[in-house]
Amino acid sequence: MIRALFKKQMMEVFSWIFYDRKAGKTRSKKGIIGYVILYLALFAFLGVIFFSFATMLCEPLAEAGFAWLYFALMGLLAVALGVFGGVFNTFASLYLAKDNDLLLSMPIPPAKILAARLSGVYAIGLLYELIVMIPALIVYFIHVRVGILGILFTLLIPLVLSVFVLTLSCILGWVVAIVSTRLKNKNIITVILSLVFLAGYYYLYSQAYAVIGKILANPDGIAESVRSIFYPFYHMGLAAGGNALSMLIFTAIIGALFCIVYLVLSKSFLRIATENRGTAKTKYKEKAVKSKSVSGALLHKELRRFLSSPIYMLNCGLGIILMPIAAIALLIKGNDLLEMLSGMFEGLENVIPLLAAAAICIIASMNDLTAPSVSLEGKNLWIVQSLPVTARQALTAKLKLHLILTIVPAAILTLCVEIVLKPSVVLGILIPVAVLAFILMGACLGLLANLKMPNLKWANETVPVKQSMAVTIALFGGWIIVLALGGLYFLCRSFLSPTLYLLVVSVLLWVVALVLLRRVMTKGAAVFESL
Amino acid sequence: MLKIEHLTKTYGEKKAVDDLSLHIQPGEIYGFIGHNGAGKTTTIKAVCGILRYDSGEITVNGISMKENPLACKSAIAYIPDNPDLYEFMTGIGYLNFVGDIFGVSAEKRQEKIRKYAAEFELTADLAQPISAYSHGMKQKLAVIAALIHDPKLIIMDEPFVGLDPKASHLLKGLMREKCDEGAAIFFSTHVLEVAEKLCDKVAIIKNGRLIKSGTMEDVKGDTSLENVFLELEDAQ
Repeated sequence: MIRALFKKQMMEVFSWIFYDRKAGKTRSKKGIIGYVILYLALFAFLGVIFFSFATMLCEPLAEAGFAWLYFALMGLLAVALGVFGGVFNTFASLYLAKDNDLLLSMPIPPAKILAARLSGVYAIGLLYELIVMIPALIVYFIHVRVGILGILFTLLIPLVLSVFVLTLSCILGWVVAIVSTRLKNKNIITVILSLVFLAGYYYLYSQAYAVIGKILANPDGIAESVRSIFYPFYHMGLAAGGNALSMLIFTAIIGALFCIVYLVLSKSFLRIATENRGTAKTKYKEKAVKSKSVSGALLHKELRRFLSSPIYMLNCGLGIILMPIAAIALLIKGNDLLEMLSGMFEGLENVIPLLAAAAICIIASMNDLTAPSVSLEGKNLWIVQSLPVTARQALTAKLKLHLILTIVPAAILTLCVEIVLKPSVVLGILIPVAVLAFILMGACLGLLANLKMPNLKWANETVPVKQSMAVTIALFGGWIIVLALGGLYFLCRSFLSPTLYLLVVSVLLWVVALVLLRRVMTKGAAVFESL
Repeated sequence: MLKIEHLTKTYGEKKAVDDLSLHIQPGEIYGFIGHNGAGKTTTIKAVCGILRYDSGEITVNGISMKENPLACKSAIAYIPDNPDLYEFMTGIGYLNFVGDIFGVSAEKRQEKIRKYAAEFELTADLAQPISAYSHGMKQKLAVIAALIHDPKLIIMDEPFVGLDPKASHLLKGLMREKCDEGAAIFFSTHVLEVAEKLCDKVAIIKNGRLIKSGTMEDVKGDTSLENVFLELEDAQ
């Protein structure tokens, strides 16, 4: 019985290898091999990054007699990555599993169902953890001489460490479950947390070398901290050197922690699995209704869809946040940046306003709201099609949302650019004119791409948002256009001044944007009607 | 109210609807029955202006669906077989959205929402996101949204699926009430007992072709609608 359960869990965990959710069918053998190779390449890429960290740490620490500290630090890094990868999986596996009712109706003890579920979380945690531990072990074996026991223990440590990852994932998964049922503006909070995480990640990444430097400069102090704060990791480090007692202590501590969490979980699993958590219920109170026009109602609908989906906001609306951030950064550090650019483009300072316009366009390209907007109608398409609204009205609402949410932050950024650069009056007018045309063109391009390649049969909105050719075209298409226009300037710079070039580009962009807009309203509307 | 003349719709090689003609008068409840894949949903979607058809004509109150779809849709309310509503909206948000699109005044809208939400026992849940609704609750919301603009023609695809007995009973009463007020109802169902009790007229479709239509008495005669349906299914 338990074997069948484990098999089912593993099939569930690794179904993404064998099953194409986008197409809704099993992958071919070639597809599976290709997918495995792709992921192995991705893991190898990440492994190389951790390999370089490990190399920087291992040799000097081993020479200073702190080989255990190297192993403990890499272990901590592996746990952090494993928990990051495992926590959401735990939440979904334990608290949102769709087959709980089915399994509980069968003659299976709940504890076994829980054990099978945890095995899936363990496997995912191990997978993430090995991205760090495999390069860490390779570097360790290169720089540290280890005996047979050491080799045996270093090979066992990742398996035990993964139990710790599982324990932490269970605890954090429970916290996520509790928090998610109590939050009201879950979507906005998810977006903010994701952005904070992203910013934190880039900050830590930029500080990684400084951290390694600090560790190497003060190994005694760091070793003392690890010994006192992360006691099991101290023994893990010693165990890697072949210390059997430390291996025993490390395993016992991890095992005990897991047993406590497992006991608590197994006692509450049945309640957790069968409880209908729902969401915090908001009681309806009748309020005075404010009527909207048809176009207002459609625009509001598009805005609601955007604000309800963290995936949509993060993947297609990053420019909304980045443009004001860039504007503030420019106001604070603008003079330094101007000095740096003046140094880089000595004698070509008049190119800087062109570069600024290009930079605004590149950031504005990160808003691709129209690109998945048709696909996102999905199963709801019948609503717009059966209501007395034209396809033009429906598409205009999609364009409007994109334009409003892009033009407003772009205007703020453009204003700050002009405050810092102080361009001539003509350039000061041409920059926003060109940016505006570029934004309109991007919105139309994304919408047309999606009308050409719509995907209305999705089960998860990550498919139309993240795995969409239209989004790829809108995002990279915008960047390619900016780069191409940049390249064109260098070809024309002998006979066109930057001002004249921007004028020509502005006219060109407006012509293209208006042609695309007309295309959306004619051919695009016809396509939308026939979907 | 609704005239379907020689409607034909083809999917690739297959004729989903083949030369179908039906006339539905104001005040009539018209049942549309047929086996799975007979062409009921295709016909209904064409009538609602969701699906383009190859040939034939559909008119609502004398207005052509092909030539003036917006005027036709303004008079229609459609309730699909599977109420896939905007899950990112709350129930009240969806009702207001539909009200805005049909240009229903704030007062009238509020009055309708108050009345129908109370009747369908959905008032307390109107502030909830639709994603939290059960199938039956979504179906009730779709029905309320359909009634909000006083449609002249109500088109329903399997409207009783997912409704609890009380809501089902209520819907049947509302259907009759609307028809008494002069509206017309065209709906598909597999529940032949309901069709027999509720419908003034009935049409039976098989493989896209109309095989029998008329008043309920004419179609079923002395036997039951179920018997007639099964005989026709076996005979052709």
